[in-house]
Amino acid sequence: MVKFTAEHEIFRRTVREFVEKEINPYADEWEAAGTFPAHELFKKAAKLGLLGVEYDPAYGGGGADHWYTVILGEELGRADCGGVPMAITVQTDMATPALAKWGSHELKKQYLEPALKGEMVASIAVTEPDAGSDVASIKTFARRDGDEYVINGSKIYITNGTQADFLTLLARTSPEGGYRGMSLIIVPTDRPGFRVARKLRKLGNHSSDTAELVLEDVRVPVTNRIGEEGQGFYLQMQQFQKERLIAVYTAIGGMRRAIERTVAYLRERKAFGGPLLSMQYIQYTLAELIVEIESLRQLAYAAAEGVVAGEDVTRLATMAKFKAGRLVRRVADTCLQFHGGLGYMEEMWTARYFRDSRLLGIGGGADEVMLRVLTRTEGLEA
Amino acid sequence: MNIIVCVKQIPDPETPASSFRVDEAAKKVVPAQGIPPVVNPYDPQATEAALRLKEAAGGGKVTVISLGPESARDAIKHALAMGADEGILLNDPGFEGIDNFQTAVALAKAIEKVGQYDLILMGRAAADWDMGVVPMGVATLLGIPCVSIAKAIERVDGKVRVTRVLDDGFQTVEAPLPAVVSVSNEFGEPRYPQLRQIMLAAKKTVQVWNAADLGLSADQLGEANRWLKLEALYVPKVESKVEIIEADSPEEKARILAQKLRADKLI
Repeated sequence: MVKFTAEHEIFRRTVREFVEKEINPYADEWEAAGTFPAHELFKKAAKLGLLGVEYDPAYGGGGADHWYTVILGEELGRADCGGVPMAITVQTDMATPALAKWGSHELKKQYLEPALKGEMVASIAVTEPDAGSDVASIKTFARRDGDEYVINGSKIYITNGTQADFLTLLARTSPEGGYRGMSLIIVPTDRPGFRVARKLRKLGNHSSDTAELVLEDVRVPVTNRIGEEGQGFYLQMQQFQKERLIAVYTAIGGMRRAIERTVAYLRERKAFGGPLLSMQYIQYTLAELIVEIESLRQLAYAAAEGVVAGEDVTRLATMAKFKAGRLVRRVADTCLQFHGGLGYMEEMWTARYFRDSRLLGIGGGADEVMLRVLTRTEGLEA
Repeated sequence: MNIIVCVKQIPDPETPASSFRVDEAAKKVVPAQGIPPVVNPYDPQATEAALRLKEAAGGGKVTVISLGPESARDAIKHALAMGADEGILLNDPGFEGIDNFQTAVALAKAIEKVGQYDLILMGRAAADWDMGVVPMGVATLLGIPCVSIAKAIERVDGKVRVTRVLDDGFQTVEAPLPAVVSVSNEFGEPRYPQLRQIMLAAKKTVQVWNAADLGLSADQLGEANRWLKLEALYVPKVESKVEIIEADSPEEKARILAQKLRADKLI
């Protein structure tokens, strides 16, 4: 059983207060607006050290252990909306891990440091109209021209896309097909030829802006490449592990809060001569969900222990991401159901949570992609 | 400027009523399962005040003292994570079950042992017993002034100028240093511990002093030597009755309601 230290618990309170004071009071407004002030909020988060928990203090990171990231995710997940936590974790654990691990010193000074200060907003740009789960099919091409890459292509479903100052972009840098010939490149969005084609409307996570981006002859220095040319796919695959884990930690925090809120409601809500919580069907259903959430939490903690030990956690992270994607839908559905007609009302948290919960089984690697990975890790290939 | 801040760990005031239990026979609060104790909500404001005064003075030291069980170390760590410099935990089996006067005696001894101090800050009260007398007790024992319930504190010409919160306004007073000041929630939001400070706090040491270290003898300690005898401890029973007023018109209902309220001397 994981024992968090007193320092971990102090950090948990810091994140919880940040969520309660800096996110929750504005969640309704940002959901209605379809966006949130990323630069403003990220600066506040950065001041508390929330944007660079594990990163090198030389670039403004906290140099903390991975359990602090677990806590960050769990506590952000307790926010009144899914969109803002998603936007923050894109900045911290999806768009920057490869830059921090394999980027050059100059590149980290130029982009990682301002990102950790909240002065720059980052997006991870992998998905394209014709390539989502099938990452090997991406077509965006970065052609070498002297000391520059000339980039052409489009990216879609990009979180923070309308506000981003730079993209961590996966593009082809040589004509080989499949997994080879791709590179991860930092693309500042103030370059000529870059444009936000449109802001996308989504089922949920309304407070987070999502965009389709177009790159037409966008020139960036070759030194903006992260790691070696042609290694992009492999670097991105490793970066995906961070993405999946933070998504799982966030989902766990969200589910635990959803159950807490539902139990509190059912304790008060009287029907058939007593509180609804006294109904055995309700008690058993909730108990079963709590078992599922706790099982997932322990699986996630096992993966976190692997991260701390410096191990490859692909297997456990993939299992946890799959389990979380499925479970969060069940939890959101059950919580809504147990609130009855009220739960279906837009004024209740259950309606938003139900919408927001649907994304986890798709984003960061769909359930089916997780199963496909597990077929390999579990030796199920015939 | 050397400042001592006294902090206390208490049961979480956010504990749901359904989890709150009192053992009436033992006259004790039963700790709620799975709900860890927290720092008394007024205390981070005292720490915040100390840090601001230290920053304004351009130097000095903030020492945090807490009397309590081993877990009270967490309350000290919270203050260290906010930026305080040193921590001292007063921990001894003889401190079990003591009252506020005994607490004041132990704190005063600890403060004397620390030696150099310009100011002692505490929260206006602990949110568990909510008595708010320890600051006065400590000041009396040390023979220095006490200013209670501060919303603003500044150091002016070697003195401390404090704006106090009154029921119907504010009062500004000055006291010579050293002094004890209790800080109220009106002081403003305490800073959240930043990750960097939390990491630094992990490296700061917390000294532990027992009763002997403070020169306290057995006849001053323990529940048996309380000055304040606790007669009974119980959760009051709140009964609510609902009476529906039946009448033909809203005006008639209002008239009957007004008569009933007057009969009960409520209006």
